Amino acid sequence: MIGKTLDHYRILAKIGEGGMGVVYRARDEVLTRDVALKLLAHSAVDKVAPGHLLREAQTASSLSHPNICTIHQVGETANDFYVVMELIEGRSLSDLIPPAGLPMETVTRYGAQIADALSHAHDRGIVHRDLKGSNVMVTPEGRVKVLDFGLATRLESAEISELTLSYDSLESKLVGTLPYIAPEVLRGQKGDHLSDLWALGVLLYELAAGTLPFRGNTGFEVTSAILREPTPPLPSSVPPGLASVIQRCLSKEPLERYQRASEVRVALEAVQGAVLQSRRPSEEARGPRMLVLRGMEHLAVKNGDVLLQVGTNKGAFLLRASRDRNKWDVAGPYFHGQGVYAMAYDGRNGKHRLWVSANNMVWGTFLRSSDDFGRTWTNPVEASIRFPAESGASLKNLWQISLGRSDEPEKLYCGAEPAALFESCDDGESWSLIRGLYEHAHRPRWMPSNGGLVLHTIVPDPSNRERIYTAISAGGVYRTDDGGKTWCARNTGVRVMFLPEKYPEFGQCVHKLVLHESRPERLFLQNHGGLYRSDNHGDSWQDVARGIPSDFGFAMLMHPHDADCVYIVPVESEEFRCTPEGHLRVYRTRNAGGSWEALDRGLPQKGAYETVLRDALSTDSLDPAGIYFGTRSGKLYASRDEGKSWKKIAEGLPQILCVKAAVVHLNGFPVAMPKMKSKTANERKAKNKKRVGRGKSH
Amino acid sequence: MQIVFNIPGSLREFTRDQRAVRVEVEKGANLLQALHALFLEYPGLRDRVLTETGEARRHVNLFVANENVRYTGGLATPVPPGAEVSIVPAISGG
Repeated sequence: MIGKTLDHYRILAKIGEGGMGVVYRARDEVLTRDVALKLLAHSAVDKVAPGHLLREAQTASSLSHPNICTIHQVGETANDFYVVMELIEGRSLSDLIPPAGLPMETVTRYGAQIADALSHAHDRGIVHRDLKGSNVMVTPEGRVKVLDFGLATRLESAEISELTLSYDSLESKLVGTLPYIAPEVLRGQKGDHLSDLWALGVLLYELAAGTLPFRGNTGFEVTSAILREPTPPLPSSVPPGLASVIQRCLSKEPLERYQRASEVRVALEAVQGAVLQSRRPSEEARGPRMLVLRGMEHLAVKNGDVLLQVGTNKGAFLLRASRDRNKWDVAGPYFHGQGVYAMAYDGRNGKHRLWVSANNMVWGTFLRSSDDFGRTWTNPVEASIRFPAESGASLKNLWQISLGRSDEPEKLYCGAEPAALFESCDDGESWSLIRGLYEHAHRPRWMPSNGGLVLHTIVPDPSNRERIYTAISAGGVYRTDDGGKTWCARNTGVRVMFLPEKYPEFGQCVHKLVLHESRPERLFLQNHGGLYRSDNHGDSWQDVARGIPSDFGFAMLMHPHDADCVYIVPVESEEFRCTPEGHLRVYRTRNAGGSWEALDRGLPQKGAYETVLRDALSTDSLDPAGIYFGTRSGKLYASRDEGKSWKKIAEGLPQILCVKAAVVHLNGFPVAMPKMKSKTANERKAKNKKRVGRGKSH
Repeated sequence: MQIVFNIPGSLREFTRDQRAVRVEVEKGANLLQALHALFLEYPGLRDRVLTETGEARRHVNLFVANENVRYTGGLATPVPPGAEVSIVPAISGG
């Protein structure tokens, strides 16, 4: 062919050969420019009606887009069918993919350009049908050009079966195409814009991972992988945000894919532009910071008062009583209509700060605080707790707000859904994700429980700054001994009801975990079925469910002064999840789980089918200790004698999700503590004095 | 070109109590670009309208003119000059 002339194109050199035909560099003698001229193989043209192919190519020539190789002319001579195209100096994308894949920034940049090209063509009714790496060129400037729009022949079902049988031996023009064919096309449907999006998913996978997602030695193997096998996991170097875009393109069911190429482009740009998006606006642009609630009667809290923070699924309530804990004032609801799963009171270092996680079903979850017992609340312009963009996760809810150790008064932790631990070292001003746990190798095998995949319990070891325990539903207990860098599952001996293996390394649905600061090596655990104690920092667990009506429950509370005393509220069976036989009873052990006693004086013992959720049981630090709990039916009970007798202090509240009690020390001065009996209590008193001393000098 | 955003009551705290705000965007902009222009002016809206992954929150409906963008290409929906964009909380509850 070299030297010959077709119409006014003089063929200069052969530059490529593919299934569809041979490509030459040619000279347009009229416009005096070089072009690419593709001479289509007879076989390709013969498969379909030549008139049809010509029409499709003519339609494709109407496309004008920076990422689409422009078709200048389509023609026919007596013997040949040819397409004259823009000559692109560059390399085929399939030649650019290194074995370990391209850098993520490059994948999203190229991917967004390809998606934009598809979007432009699809909007004009043109489907590519043969998108693959060898049909995409990359110019030296990094611009992507998609070739051969509208030139692919339609695959007939006979061809597919031929291809399937002869993949390994046949030099079929389709060999390079098969791994990109969508499942519905393999089943005989006509390829459409959604099968182009599948091919885009295969290509993105290949760019990111360096290998094709569906492979095999024979056509049959490739076909069955496409039809039946789940997409193999991408390497861990691929950010989850990009991985989820690829996964969605590779949904076997076309309607579960993105429905438009433009959506893929936007999703890729979001992954790509995440860094830009997450930049913080200047301080001037921050806008209002405080929400002032007018027209509500707020609490007048005095030094030494007991404060109860009550979170419900429709807002937060605050209660106060003087130290006799006899009469309670109620204020609220704060955060009207929002789910309040976590609250905390931070009285360290002279602070008296209330923390709330407010979950608005529409506008998201925000961490908010008040330094004046609810009169004003911060309302952050930006969410202070957020997943890094490259994680591909977004915050659903905050289930726990925990204070750091007393010698780290500016440290706070938050437990999130999806399961993650966040840490703040500056009193909640800024937060960071603890990556050691978030990127734990077990994560893909944690299973969401009824409430989602949630990190709901955070227990810093009071004697060791490097050690923290967390509990995840359903993942189990995880402990770090190096300040959060690495985490190990600590579930030996804890039984699982819902897996075939009853004592796995992890996967337990732990509901609550407590320890006493005087015995940091000893932990108690309320499991989703099972009550346990560990005497060795969680290395192993023993069952301590003796003499209780059910070992199922959510809430668990450590006595503030007695390390052997733990409270629980058992509920009947996994299915029922209400207090057994209509008796509302708190159970207490005073010998570290050796035996349990029912505490029910003042609690309803008939028709009381109640549930106390995992954070709805709390204690103040007075002596005798006040114990408080709230029910899913909106009743709030208090005991001022360590559980011997109870009194209902509120009812008719929305579903109670959390109760947090605290004694308020205003102006940094501790309240004179009542005379204490136990040694532990006296030790605590001494410690309190010391702490306040530090606070003053601060 | 200018675009008008209609702001629901619960977010007006972040638009200095304005129920409609105007922002300047390039001609041919899509909804995502228009939203970024809005967020530069009123940063409190961003995390309440979009998630960290840059998608519209599940119960936030966005309308270009009177069409819910869920059916017109999501955040890639083009915004014609002078169009009104409405941010509307979905019907939901529990």
